[in-house]
Amino acid sequence: MQSDDVARTVAAQIGERFLGLEPFPRTAGRLRFRSEAALPLFHTVKEQLGFHHLSMVGGIDWVTHREVFYVVWSDDRRQYLLLSADLPAAAPHIESAASVWPAANWHERETWELVDIQFDHHPDLRHLLLPDGYEAHPLLRSFQLHEPEELEVKQRSV
Amino acid sequence: MSAPPAPPMPRTAGSAAEAYRLEGELPMVEQPAVPFVEIETVRAREFIPAAKEAFGALIAEQGQAKLIRPTFNWAGRNSLFPLHWGLACCAIEFASAFSARWDSERFGIVPRSSPRQCDLMIVNGTVTWKVAHKLITLYEQMPEPKWVIAMGNCATGGGPFRTAYSVVPGVDKLVPVDVYIAGCPPRPEAMIDGILRLEELIRERRE
Amino acid sequence: MWINMGPQHPMTHGLWNLRVKIDGELITDCDPEMGYLHRGIEKISEDRHYNEVITLMDRTCYVAGFAWEHLYVLAAEEALHIQPPERAEYLRTLCEEFQRIGSHLMWYAAFVQDIGLMSPFLYGMRDRDLVLDLFQSYTGARMTYEYMRVGGVRNDLPPGFTGHARKVLDWLSDRFVEYDRLCLGSDIFRKRCDGLGVLSAADCVATGVTGPMLRSAGVKRDVRRDRPYAAYPQLDFDVAVADGADVTARYLVRMEEMRQSVRLLRQVLDWLDHHPGPVLADRLPRWLGAPYAPVGKEEYVLKRNYPKGVGFSSIEEPHGEAQAYVVNEGSEHPYRVKFRSPVFANLSATRHYLVGYRVADIPPIMGSVDICVGEVDR
Repeated sequence: MQSDDVARTVAAQIGERFLGLEPFPRTAGRLRFRSEAALPLFHTVKEQLGFHHLSMVGGIDWVTHREVFYVVWSDDRRQYLLLSADLPAAAPHIESAASVWPAANWHERETWELVDIQFDHHPDLRHLLLPDGYEAHPLLRSFQLHEPEELEVKQRSV
Repeated sequence: MSAPPAPPMPRTAGSAAEAYRLEGELPMVEQPAVPFVEIETVRAREFIPAAKEAFGALIAEQGQAKLIRPTFNWAGRNSLFPLHWGLACCAIEFASAFSARWDSERFGIVPRSSPRQCDLMIVNGTVTWKVAHKLITLYEQMPEPKWVIAMGNCATGGGPFRTAYSVVPGVDKLVPVDVYIAGCPPRPEAMIDGILRLEELIRERRE
Repeated sequence: MWINMGPQHPMTHGLWNLRVKIDGELITDCDPEMGYLHRGIEKISEDRHYNEVITLMDRTCYVAGFAWEHLYVLAAEEALHIQPPERAEYLRTLCEEFQRIGSHLMWYAAFVQDIGLMSPFLYGMRDRDLVLDLFQSYTGARMTYEYMRVGGVRNDLPPGFTGHARKVLDWLSDRFVEYDRLCLGSDIFRKRCDGLGVLSAADCVATGVTGPMLRSAGVKRDVRRDRPYAAYPQLDFDVAVADGADVTARYLVRMEEMRQSVRLLRQVLDWLDHHPGPVLADRLPRWLGAPYAPVGKEEYVLKRNYPKGVGFSSIEEPHGEAQAYVVNEGSEHPYRVKFRSPVFANLSATRHYLVGYRVADIPPIMGSVDICVGEVDR
């Protein structure tokens, strides 16, 4: 019942850039949208639907493309809503949510450095967990882990 | 903000003895009574002349060169001041070792917050590459003679995180380590045992 | 002038660096610098079997290992379409509530020591050890338990556990009264805590702050009630709230939470006494606990077509609201594991509750946040 309301409101606001609301157990659903509609969607979800609390921002590397997802919570509905958008694997970028939910600031910094997703108009996009100047993005699938002994052997042979 | 006033006293007054009676389900071994040793108390201003006299007699008997190093080691090993810093999980067990049950201060181990007051660095947790140079700085700021204990598997060899991209696989890649303590995390007893092993090493120290 | 407090500083309780900009004694800006304990747990998890990730969860938040095990296990079960037996859910609730007491006692010990009272540190650690003894009796470990499993828990409680646990609860509920007398009756405590570090409810929601910090601002939000999981729907408890949103209010919320945990635990223990049963789901896939594939021999991992799925879980961890997102792509390893750490969000709001106070107020304010760096950096 409530989920219909979410789909209707979002569809009215962002039109065909809304790609559907998939059912997700024990939440209001998983809302798929096109990345260019990010900012109007965030405003709709926060101001019209009442999801005032941003809990988490994360990214997934699907090799062919990247996915960025947001988890928001509404105190009135007592429900989570998952927002997710697909981004191209080459130069993935999306509008920052920090102007809508200030809580997104650190989460986006973390997602940027670990999954390499650029957040446009982010107030302060710099390294958070990794040292300054670290260039790799460890949570990409192409990033391999090694046993330390293995690395030493490699360094010696080079 | 008006917090409520302090509540009345509880039904049972708390004491450590009562707390430990709770775990008395297991059969406890009767400990023999330790004979009480009478210690002669001296005032501070009497202490230095008394010590001078005693050491003078010893030096006359054994020779100065033979005596300085053992005395120095004896004093050093009984007042190890570890650096007070917490890296990861082992830091919680490190803190437990200073709580009422283990009471590491019995062994003269008192954590200090400034590296310049310390002679022992207990690396209690995972060392990442981001903190590596800070660890070396702290080590260099400690006055000689100084010792390092690698506490737990992470400090010894990276532990469960050895394959991670950000973890130093063993703190001995950065600073010389004297004692390794195994465990993930080691129990406080293990930490105290490690420090006692270090005291044995200090006892034999020459140079 | 910017000054660094950390990474080695008695205030930090872990490895992080608080950079504060000061004007005389007044804090005008601040910028926490994190990542000194970043161990790449999310990346390592992609290389582990589902049950092997639990090992890492204990070390993610080392003062609340059970809560994080529970968080991960709930998400993994949703992703793998496994239902745990009812007794396992009660056992997990038992673990989580005892862990909440243990974690809050650890916080109490460290926080009150920051303010300048030494004996509460000894009392807090003494009583925490009693809780750890209980954990040790059925998991064999004091801090890193590896007790929960995808599909249940590892083993049942030893005989006589519930009676012993009730005695500990009796002991603890008397001690909470003593703690309150010690702290609320102390002029030093009240002068150093009242009216400090105020973070209003609106700011809390905007900056993503959860847990005792949010409840100290009068917002009645608790995942255990709003989106109940495990055995919480069947249990009776109140959400601890306070008004004032300052350091004292956070103290009051945590103390009340411990009392509510005691209340919950008595109900759980009564249930456990009367409902024996299995603690691990039958018909679990064998590969959940399969050995770790040797590095460089990835073909050893069989690529079978297991049903895919995505799991999302959210629990009320002692520090706040933690979330996990587990993606199962039909292999032995999770494809992606993502965690939301409550302390991560609470620390990102530092600017809102530190600016405007004095340098000497930093230890009580940051102490009241209850920082566990392991889960912030992961």
